[in-house]
Amino acid sequence: MKNYETLNIRMTVYCALFTALIIVGGYISIPIPIGPVPIVLADFFVMLAGLFLGFKYAFISISLYLALGLIGLPVFAGGTSGLAVIFGPTGGFIIGYILMGVCIGFITTKMKVTIISLMIALIAGNILLYLAGVPWLKFNMKLSWPAAITIGFIPFTAGIVIKIAAAVALGYAFLPQFKQKMVFASFKQPDDGDE
Amino acid sequence: MPVLETQNLTHTFPDGTTAVTNISLRINSGEFLIITGANGSGKTVFIRHLNGLLTPTKGKVLLDGKPITKNIVEARKKIGLIFQNSDSQIVGQTVEEDVGFGPLNLNLPPDEIKRVVKTALEITGLTAFSKQNPYFLSGGQKRKLAIAGVLAMGPEIIIFDEPFTGLDYPGIITVLKQIVNLHKAGHTVIVVTHELEKVLAHSDRLVIFHNGRLAEDGKPEEVIKNSNNYGVRMPLKNGEKVSLMTWLE
Amino acid sequence: MAGMTFFHYLHKETILHKMDCRLKLLCMLLLSLSASFALKLPHYLVPISLIMLAIWAAKLPFGALLKDMRFFGVLILIVFISNAFLIPGEPIPNFPIANISQQGVITGLRFAGRLTLIIMACSVISGTTSLSSLRNAVEWILRPFPFISEVRIATMVSLTFILIPLIFDNYIEIMDAQKSRCIQLQKKPALRIKYISFPLLTQTFRRADEIINAMESRNYSEVRTQVELYTKKADWLILALCAAVLLFVLFF
Repeated sequence: MKNYETLNIRMTVYCALFTALIIVGGYISIPIPIGPVPIVLADFFVMLAGLFLGFKYAFISISLYLALGLIGLPVFAGGTSGLAVIFGPTGGFIIGYILMGVCIGFITTKMKVTIISLMIALIAGNILLYLAGVPWLKFNMKLSWPAAITIGFIPFTAGIVIKIAAAVALGYAFLPQFKQKMVFASFKQPDDGDE
Repeated sequence: MPVLETQNLTHTFPDGTTAVTNISLRINSGEFLIITGANGSGKTVFIRHLNGLLTPTKGKVLLDGKPITKNIVEARKKIGLIFQNSDSQIVGQTVEEDVGFGPLNLNLPPDEIKRVVKTALEITGLTAFSKQNPYFLSGGQKRKLAIAGVLAMGPEIIIFDEPFTGLDYPGIITVLKQIVNLHKAGHTVIVVTHELEKVLAHSDRLVIFHNGRLAEDGKPEEVIKNSNNYGVRMPLKNGEKVSLMTWLE
Repeated sequence: MAGMTFFHYLHKETILHKMDCRLKLLCMLLLSLSASFALKLPHYLVPISLIMLAIWAAKLPFGALLKDMRFFGVLILIVFISNAFLIPGEPIPNFPIANISQQGVITGLRFAGRLTLIIMACSVISGTTSLSSLRNAVEWILRPFPFISEVRIATMVSLTFILIPLIFDNYIEIMDAQKSRCIQLQKKPALRIKYISFPLLTQTFRRADEIINAMESRNYSEVRTQVELYTKKADWLILALCAAVLLFVLFF
């Protein structure tokens, strides 16, 4: 039982940690030389949440982020929040965060940590993110497909590549250490249900 | 002529609190200066002005007589700042990579980078660890790595922010030796600390900050007598000399 | 973050500070709903004046809040401009820029208005709600849901808000250390992200381990004393006010 309690606390803290990182990431922006849109790091930390927490806890952590925004705390990128953001033009991206985190978590827990497997996971996750985000943008703002892609995808392409590269590097450096800390041991625990 | 000088430096934060008020300080080339003061007396805010991390609300910072804002890259090359928390400063995944971070930013040619990294590692005695992950270094070695990272950029002035915090006895001795040797090698050294008993004997000048103002400035033997007034423990017992205030043999 | 009042709870003894957090969150929900349905100018003015009243009643520093709004000003501007340019419709007569449509400007103004409203409401919530009351409210709200450990989630919420300022301070220190070594000359953005996130992660992971140990040392357990929550008459009155605003926006 002792071990089980420890694991609970560990995962509680790590989930909170990544929720906090995602929120902070929404305020951190890095200028990039190509294109007018600065990179915001919220989605980068969503990717990392998927990599480090595994799909189950990534789901909890990202949902918590969503819920905090929903009840009105200024956590979404740039400090916005509330129903209006979720149902607004960028709402699809926020829902897409969950899809991306879960997808990345799922693939990385199933595969061995190699640069290739990390890349597959991250690319698949990003595809899901934009599959949720761009159509939402189109229907919400009643844009044409080319217009939706022009504002919802093209400005971010450079950022996507950069973030995937950085996430692969970090995942490769940290994941083996991290797994040792028995984070992923949770999946082998038979009684580790949602209570 | 002073190498580094602040004129009436004042810094007010956006929320209205003033961290440092009207500080004019001239630092001469080759000096070993210690800045001390109670927690919250403005020491850290002050030194973050010296390499342009913070810009003064009022007043100026001059390097060789020119405002540092004129050429901030040059200022950061010339003035190395070593942070209290070495972990914040360490970015590389090997010791070597971390030391190369600054020169890489300065866009030096690869051969040159190799050379300066090698020298910096030799000076700090970290050559044997060059391929190691910094994560596994001891506290004292990490602080030396932070020093090496700054040395690789070829600074003239080196500022240490609380260099002894959190180190064990051997760690303090290694770092202290390093600081003294750097001063001997001709660097201007500024140490911010409240652990005077470890280092004061090596300094030529002591400055005390109090409530964001410059309260005392002068020869260590003179200034130290008044230190009790400013929340700094008077470290000398009756009859002891400043020259005893070192942890080096 | 040090200079920002935004996430900061300011302890005062006012009706809003003492208000039941569950109702406060409900009020927030009603106001953000009003914002999403608002179409005409009065629809914005009424909730905004209510929020102004709340800021005054809660004795929040008005000037500091306005300063924080500057930060969001850019975002609001982007929302406005992208709408103005991208929504098809009639061009504005006698206006030099041809791509802007009347409909676009109107939609843009609406979005901007909504954002402003929500951001202001948020500042009231975070300025008047202490972490522990937020935690208790979250725990209460989650109680009826099966399969969710409400205590665990509530703990996560409070941990998250404890960690945010720590991570921010950490980030600022790391940036300072890197600026001291001329990071701004580094032109490769992937490397810049790596150099920021590497030390940030190492340190936050270590901090997380410390928190875990500290929690265990104090025998943290998910079976813990439940806190009783009270609702006062004034709280219901405030809720009624917010409901009235929503009705006004919906039907007038």
